[in-house]
Amino acid sequence: MISDITFGQYFPAESVIHRLDPRTKFLMLIFIIVLIFLATDFYGMAVVLALCLAVMLLSKIPFKMYFKNLKAILPVLLLTAIINSLYVKEGTVLFDKWIITITSGGIYKAVFMAVRIALLIIISSTLTYTTTPNDLTDAIERLCKPLKYIGLGSAVHMLTMMMTIALRFIPTLIEETQKIMNAQKARGADIENGGLISRVKALVPILIPLIILSVRRAYDLAEAMECRCYNGGVGKQRMKQLKFGSRDAVAVVICFAWAAVIIALRILLG
Amino acid sequence: MPILEADKLTYTYAPGTPFKHTAVNNISFSVEKGEITGIIGHTGSGKSTLLQLLNGLLKPTSGRVLLDGKDIWEEPKNISAIRFKIGLVFQYPEYQLFEETVKQDIAYGPKNMKLNDEEIEQRIVSAASIVGLKDGLLDKSPFDLSGGEKRRVAIAGIMAMQPEIIVFDEPTAGLDPQGRETVFNAIREYRKQNNATVIIVSHSMEDMASICDKIIVLNDGEAVLHDSVDNVFKNSEFLKSIGLNVPYVTKIMLSLKERGFDVPTDVFTVDNAAKVLLSLIKGGASLD
Repeated sequence: MISDITFGQYFPAESVIHRLDPRTKFLMLIFIIVLIFLATDFYGMAVVLALCLAVMLLSKIPFKMYFKNLKAILPVLLLTAIINSLYVKEGTVLFDKWIITITSGGIYKAVFMAVRIALLIIISSTLTYTTTPNDLTDAIERLCKPLKYIGLGSAVHMLTMMMTIALRFIPTLIEETQKIMNAQKARGADIENGGLISRVKALVPILIPLIILSVRRAYDLAEAMECRCYNGGVGKQRMKQLKFGSRDAVAVVICFAWAAVIIALRILLG
Repeated sequence: MPILEADKLTYTYAPGTPFKHTAVNNISFSVEKGEITGIIGHTGSGKSTLLQLLNGLLKPTSGRVLLDGKDIWEEPKNISAIRFKIGLVFQYPEYQLFEETVKQDIAYGPKNMKLNDEEIEQRIVSAASIVGLKDGLLDKSPFDLSGGEKRRVAIAGIMAMQPEIIVFDEPTAGLDPQGRETVFNAIREYRKQNNATVIIVSHSMEDMASICDKIIVLNDGEAVLHDSVDNVFKNSEFLKSIGLNVPYVTKIMLSLKERGFDVPTDVFTVDNAAKVLLSLIKGGASLD
C-alpha cells in the first residue's frame, strides 16, 4: 500500500547516530558510499559490511525498517544478480546448457554486486531515518555555503528551500492521496483490480483532485510565506544553530580508520 | 434486527512502530433502520476512523461490522458492493470532484455500479433535486461553482448511488448557516425518500440536537455514551469533562436555572427554548 513507502521517512529514536550533526552524517554517507565502491573483493566488502552493521545497530532503528526498503528494490537486486551470473564468464564452468553458461566467477560477481547495492540502500536509509528533512536540507545549505563566493548564494538557498518544501510535503501528499483514494473508493472506484488500461483510467479521479489541491496549497503557502516577510533568505537568522561536537570528531575518525583498513587490504591483497 | 452493528471494533494504526496508535478501541453499538445517529467526540477521538471502518475502507484490527447481521468482511472480494450499500461522504467532499461537468461527476458512483444509462440519468436528476441543485448547474464545470454548491454536488454523488445507509463526516464544516441548513434538509429529504439510515459526525451540538434521534459519544477511541439526544445532553458536566459541550440554548437554560428561574434544562433546540421562555414570561416571570 501507499503508506508502506518508508524511504526518506524520519524514524524517531534516541541514538548516537540521531544526535550527530547532520553535516557530519551527510559527508560520512558520501564517504561510506565511496568506501563501498572502493571495496573490490570480499575482504574489503566484509570490512565495509561490518561498518554498516555497526551504524545500523547504533542507529537503534529496527532492522525490520531496513528490510522494508530492501524489499522495495528486490527486483533490481535480482535483475543485476541474474545478468551478472549470465554474462560474467570467469573461473570454472558450473553449468552449461544451450546458451546459458554459469561460471563460478559469475556467481561470485552476482553476489558481490547484490551485497554492494543492498549496502548502498541500507546506508542511505540510515541517513534519512535518523535525520529530519529539515536538518538534512539545513546541512546541505551549510555545506553549499562556499558557493556564494561564485555568486550562487541565493540560488543555493532557493534550491534548499525547494527541497525542504518538497520533503515536508511528501507525507502530506501521501495522506492527501490516501484520502482522495478513499473518497473515490467510497464511490465504487476500483484501483486494485482490472487490466492495465482500466487501472490507468482509475487513476484519473485521483490525480485530478490531487493536482488541484497541490496547486491551491502552493498558492496558500506562498502567500503565508510572504505574509511572514520571506524574501528569499537574504539576511536570514537561524533559530537552530548547527555545531560540530566531539561526537562528530569520533565519527569522522572511525570512518577514516575504516577507510585506511580497506585501502591497506587492497594494497596487501591486490 | 438492527441494520448496522459494530461488534467490539478495534483499529490500530501503524502497529509495531513508534507511531502505533489505537484510534478505535473495542467499540460496540447498533443502529436501527431509519434512525439518524450522531457521533460526537473531540478532535482525535477516533470518529473518522470509525466511519471508515463502517463502510469497509479500513479493515478492523479486531472485531466485526455487521450489515443486516452479516459480517461485511466475510467475502473481502465483495467489499465494493458493501460500499454501494453503505455510502460515505467524507469531510470536505468537494475535493473529490474531478469530472468536466457536474452531471458526469454525480454519475461516477452509479456508473461504477454498472447501472444502465436510463437509470443513471434518473438517479442524477433525483439526487440533484434532493440536494437542491438548480437544473442549469448540471452542465457546468464543478470547479466553477461556489463552495456550498460544490459540497452539494459531492453529496449528490453519493446519494445517486442510493445507499441504504449513508454516513456523513462533518457534512457542514466550513459552510455558512444557510448552506448548513440546505445540507441538513437534503439529508432529511434523502432519508424520507429512500427510508435510509443516516449516521452523522459533527462538532456542532446544535445541529446534532436538531437532526439526530440518537447520539454516540466517543472519547479516546471508546464509545462512552450511546443514547437518545435528551439523555446524552443531560450529562452537561460529563460532556465538558471530555472536551465537548451542550447546545448553546441548553447552556442558556442551565444558567437561567442557576439564577433562580424555574426552567427545564432538557431543552436542546432553539424552537423549544422559545416555547419554554414564552410560557415562562406569560406566567409572570421577568427575565431581566
